[in-house]
Amino acid sequence: MSTAAPPQKAPPPRGRTGARLSDGAFALLLTAPGIALFAAIIFYPLLSALITGFFRQDLRLPGREFVGLDNFAYWLNGDLFTILEQTLLFTVGATLAPFAIGFALALALNTGIKGSGFLRGVFLFPWVIPGVVVSFLWMWIFNANYGVLNGVLVQAGIIEESVAWLGRPGTAMLAVIVTKTWASFPWMMVMLLAGLQTVPRELHEAASMDGAGAVRRFFAVTWPQVRGVASIVLLLEFIWNFQHFDTIYVLTGGGPAGTTETFATAVYQTAFSGFDIGRATALGGLWMVLLLLLVVVYLRITERKGDA
Amino acid sequence: MTTSGISRRGALRMFGIGALGVASAGVLGACAPSGAGTDAGGGDPKSKNFDFTSWSLNEEAAKPSIEKIIKAWEKAEKSSIRAVSYPYNEYLSQLTLKLGGGETTGAVHLDIAWLAAIAQMGRLADVGPAAAGGGYTDVALKSGVYDGTQYGLPWNIGSIGVIANSKLLKKAGIEKHPATIEEFEDALRELKGLGEGVVPYAAATKVAQLKDIFPWMQTFGCTLYEGGKVTIGDDASVDAVAWYKKLHDAKLIAADVDRFDARALFGQGKAAFYDDAIIGKGVTSAQSKDKTLAAAMQPVERPVLKAGDTPQALLWGGVIAIVKGKGQDAATEFALHTTTDRATTSEYFAARALPPSTTAGLAAPEVAKDAFTTEWTEKITRTATGSPFWQFAQSTQIDEAVAKHVQAVLVGREKPKDAMKEAREEVTALIKR
Repeated sequence: MSTAAPPQKAPPPRGRTGARLSDGAFALLLTAPGIALFAAIIFYPLLSALITGFFRQDLRLPGREFVGLDNFAYWLNGDLFTILEQTLLFTVGATLAPFAIGFALALALNTGIKGSGFLRGVFLFPWVIPGVVVSFLWMWIFNANYGVLNGVLVQAGIIEESVAWLGRPGTAMLAVIVTKTWASFPWMMVMLLAGLQTVPRELHEAASMDGAGAVRRFFAVTWPQVRGVASIVLLLEFIWNFQHFDTIYVLTGGGPAGTTETFATAVYQTAFSGFDIGRATALGGLWMVLLLLLVVVYLRITERKGDA
Repeated sequence: MTTSGISRRGALRMFGIGALGVASAGVLGACAPSGAGTDAGGGDPKSKNFDFTSWSLNEEAAKPSIEKIIKAWEKAEKSSIRAVSYPYNEYLSQLTLKLGGGETTGAVHLDIAWLAAIAQMGRLADVGPAAAGGGYTDVALKSGVYDGTQYGLPWNIGSIGVIANSKLLKKAGIEKHPATIEEFEDALRELKGLGEGVVPYAAATKVAQLKDIFPWMQTFGCTLYEGGKVTIGDDASVDAVAWYKKLHDAKLIAADVDRFDARALFGQGKAAFYDDAIIGKGVTSAQSKDKTLAAAMQPVERPVLKAGDTPQALLWGGVIAIVKGKGQDAATEFALHTTTDRATTSEYFAARALPPSTTAGLAAPEVAKDAFTTEWTEKITRTATGSPFWQFAQSTQIDEAVAKHVQAVLVGREKPKDAMKEAREEVTALIKR
């Protein structure tokens, strides 16, 4: 085995300018694959969809016809604001209800009650079931003619005859929100519980010694400490619900008479039942603009939190 | 410290070229006309292996008998058939997407109402030469024709009509089948009086099957489409929808019911009447715990507005169409065998009570002597007609547009007159598209 020093390597060849790659340019080079991937799977479909919104195009037929802003005008002069209103109703309901339940359960579990570990596992159960399965379960529960809910309520004498929970405008949206709440509260509970567990116990002890009751301690100690987590959880859930599809589609398909139609179901129905890809992408574009506003709010909040 | 060995200019040039390439591909792709419809399919038409797509493969009652046909073919021809299925209510949209993306090959089972929509995509093969020697009945053969070309080999042909539970009728003291709308309504009220959660008429009230309103509109005198004009919105159609609403409000029909709910209710002995195709007997009785239900199921004429009118029914059936491209020839042979082979059609009839589409198949003793089939043909199929909207590629959207307005009336969101006027405008716009 030779122990002789290796021969001196020649310096790497230089480019024509003779300048070596700067750190910034090298970083750019490293991010190039990511940027290319982003362009291919996000930017291209987005651009394609936005452009399609200016055409009349049937999903089944070849070719398409440029129609300018007709597809956008169709929605702006038609159902856009009804869809927006219903989307907001669903979004607010399906965000606040699981938040309230999740927060209440998180507070209860945070007290260290007996069996809290087991209960936490049990409460997580709805979260691990796929959304579509949850929706089918609740569809059977709410079924007008042989659903469990009607059976129980009739047996208990609360109602005289079966109610079409999913078939009446007044109750269909409520049923959808209940289903989504059941699926969402565990996630909120876990996040809020994690937030609560970061609150120093000494603060509570000090407040108690100063004579603060449970309510006072909640508003003076607990809430300020978890407010950041709570706002992120609420905002993320709001954004997700604004885009939510499966629960609504499985339970009501947007019905009855379009009373549970949201952006997600309207885009799907227009594209895949109506085969009108032009109008569907136009609605998708309008939906995206509204969603971007929410994303800006989210970024502002997270930035502020980061600065704090 | 090491350096990358790449010059700044070189790296930026590489990055620039890459980014430009991706962006150009994106822009070109985005601006390129897209959509379905190359004329020829891909793959080897002589291949012995192909797909068979059918909604029936998704239904417990039908799946075993179709799988048996497939296995027998695979064994005899030493080939492989990939079975593909989607639920009936999702079938058309799923098939459209798969077909448009070139992912569907071989044979596809189509409801005759969908033939125009699928044929216009330009991916189906002309099966005229194969159909010529099949021995199909004229009515059946015509159900597979769109725009003068034979795109489908008829598998089954029948109609959608009203099925009654004779046991429930007897229990309610109804001896004679109600012949007119008025008598029908009286009978429904008698049935409602039974209590026990009985839904007198499990009519469709969900959008998916609210096309069942069309025969009722025709019963009231609406022609739906005549002389190139949509006639929905006339007094007859408004009267029909107002009557349907009356039944709904009186709880003589139930909210939130589609075909599958109706079958479930009927199977539980909780519905006295419901609308279904002839296939309904096999499907509904198979899922019922009551083993005497099949014998109690009776096909009945749809009540008419006044005595002497023709009972209305919608023609119903299935064809097997062939996708151009891979396995086209073998799939055509398979479809021909499935729809015309005497032993195969008889066995299929025995399993599913679905009448075949060939003259020889219909003349087979087991079919000709089947009381339910004979009665169905005499009472329902005899006067059944196809929907005038089937000729349009947008026929399913037309059904849906009308259905949504009817549902809006049922739940009190629209008035019958305004709803039907809007439905006419939407249907007219869809036809013009």
